[in-house]
Amino acid sequence: MIAMTAEENAMRVLVIEDDAEMARFIEKVLVEAGHSVDTAADGERGLEKARLEDFDAMVVDRMLPEKDGLTLVREFRDAGGTTPALFLSALGDVQNKVQGLKAGAEDYLAKPFAPAELAARVEALGRRQPAQEAPVTVLKAGDLEMNLLTRKVTRAGQKIDLQPREFRLLEYLMRHAGQVVTRTMLLEKVWDYNFDPQTNVIDVHVSRLRAKIDKEFEEPLLHTVRGAGYRLQG
Amino acid sequence: MKLAVPTFLRTTTFKLALLYSAMFAAFSGALLIYLYYSTVYYIRAEADRRMDLEFEQLGNAYFTGGMERLSQSVLERMTRNGSTFYYYLEDSSGRKIVGHFLRMPDWNPELDVQTVYFDVNQAEPDGTEVVHPMAGRIVRLRDNGGALLVAFDTAQQTAIVGRIQRAIFIAAPIGLVLSLLGGLVISRGAARRADELAHTAEAVMGGELGRRVPVRGSGDEFDRLGQRINAMLDQLEKLIESTRNTGNAIAHDLRSPLSRLRNRLEIALSEPMTRESAEATLGETVEEVDRVLDTFNAILRLARLEAGAEGERVRMDVSELAEELAELFEPACDEADLTFQSQIARHLTVLGDRDLIGQALSNLLDNAVKYTPKGGTIRLTVARGPDGTVDLTVLDTGPGIPAGSRERVVQRFQRMDSARTQPGSGLGLALVDSVAEMHGGKLILADGSGPPEAPGLKATLRLSRT
Repeated sequence: MIAMTAEENAMRVLVIEDDAEMARFIEKVLVEAGHSVDTAADGERGLEKARLEDFDAMVVDRMLPEKDGLTLVREFRDAGGTTPALFLSALGDVQNKVQGLKAGAEDYLAKPFAPAELAARVEALGRRQPAQEAPVTVLKAGDLEMNLLTRKVTRAGQKIDLQPREFRLLEYLMRHAGQVVTRTMLLEKVWDYNFDPQTNVIDVHVSRLRAKIDKEFEEPLLHTVRGAGYRLQG
Repeated sequence: MKLAVPTFLRTTTFKLALLYSAMFAAFSGALLIYLYYSTVYYIRAEADRRMDLEFEQLGNAYFTGGMERLSQSVLERMTRNGSTFYYYLEDSSGRKIVGHFLRMPDWNPELDVQTVYFDVNQAEPDGTEVVHPMAGRIVRLRDNGGALLVAFDTAQQTAIVGRIQRAIFIAAPIGLVLSLLGGLVISRGAARRADELAHTAEAVMGGELGRRVPVRGSGDEFDRLGQRINAMLDQLEKLIESTRNTGNAIAHDLRSPLSRLRNRLEIALSEPMTRESAEATLGETVEEVDRVLDTFNAILRLARLEAGAEGERVRMDVSELAEELAELFEPACDEADLTFQSQIARHLTVLGDRDLIGQALSNLLDNAVKYTPKGGTIRLTVARGPDGTVDLTVLDTGPGIPAGSRERVVQRFQRMDSARTQPGSGLGLALVDSVAEMHGGKLILADGSGPPEAPGLKATLRLSRT
């Protein structure tokens, strides 16, 4: 169930963005990541499309003509819409992020952003829905297994000892197995930091984790994706 | 031509003064009138009471001993020392029996009792005549037809009342003038404070942004108003300063990378382009643009911080945050061949913004990692500082910052020129300082404990606990 091919990962994404050039750029990034994209250039039309059609995720600009992004998402949620949403905005403050999440969005990305960051985050959105339906107690990625109740991690039956933070890091990677996960995403979701510690602290933590889960095995599971982040092989 | 009302008469000072004096005049006028009438009333009432007593006693004498006893009694009273009353008794035929006066003053014998007023001229020993105004009561004697007059000299009373009247006539105008002056003084005080506010506003409008309303420390309304206005001006000055700085910083810090970028593109254009060279140039360009954007974001962030527009302050455990950051940075130090040590006092809390303090502390740690040569040591300590503060200290064994440059590195939008060659926006320490200031503390830079040529840097982020 965790293992997914690229085909299965493909999503239908609605992009609501008034800046035509930015919209083209987002579309290109998402199409290259294997998704299909529909766009809307203002808030009213965006909301209508989101209501009428079934998308796997939506990318919403904060500042839009007709209806701003916050209102759009809030109205969409109030009307029972469940499509996960990612805010995209030049307003990158922590407060702005909090506002966006409160309005009902699942994630928030400040402009300018790296293409890989956007692709990774959109992909992460798509996985949210099934996870909510049935809480899992065991995560699997290849021959790697994590029991969330006993907090035991094994690879090919061999027990692996992890520090609490390493456990949380691996848990996040396993929940997003097969997807690219960026450093910023790890900082936000695993460390709960909304600031940039600058030094390559995340890389070091990931390489330590890698040493524990891959070292003694032939096939590496945790890959570095150049210029983007990491991917745990599904 | 219509005469303009003199400016003075239109001022609040004058109106207030007028109001004060009118109120004072009305109050004191009422008081004087009350005093006058109550005195007069008291004197009259007292005289009436004593006269009633006289008649009662003389009446007793008449009823028990007839005319003879009465005349005797009157005679006794006339010769008694200290009596203030005058008497006159006549029989039914109108002849005088006994009395002070030569004859009865004019009266109406039809009435049983009559109040009379009359003057008596009295010759003084020096030959002059003094007029004594008398007030008296004449009672007809029943069963006899005679009449008895009891009177008293009203000169004394008249003198008292006259004196009161004179006092009022003198006191009233003086009081009025004094109250007007008092009103002027009081309202001038208020007007002066209002003028001070106006002058300050004018000065600030004229560009003297540092001008403030003088506050006397008396804690009155004007002081409180002044303090509010001063606080507002402080905030405005900060905002203006921040806008000014942001403008300068954008000019200063963004112009050179943008120029570099432009040069690179110009060169690329002028050279024959292969796919590889184009890719390389564009890749570098993207990196350069990212750096410009990072700097731009840092500048905006600092500006917002300085203007107090960022951050939400809640009670938070800095010890916990420091533990987490220690855990986050420790492997990175390890990787860079640095020894990382931490000594963190538990459960120290401050009122602050977790993300901002986290950013500030990781800026310090990041600096330490960047500037400390291999084999060095980085030490993070969290402990109580003086006067209810918490000190977050990062000590390294790097080159340190010379004492003369320390002030400059924390200044917003300025950095050591040597730092320009290092990656990063160079606003790291300025941001730490800003965060410290926002939390009622400061950033203290000092030499570490190393040898003079590489003393290391001891950077203390001091935060107020409240």
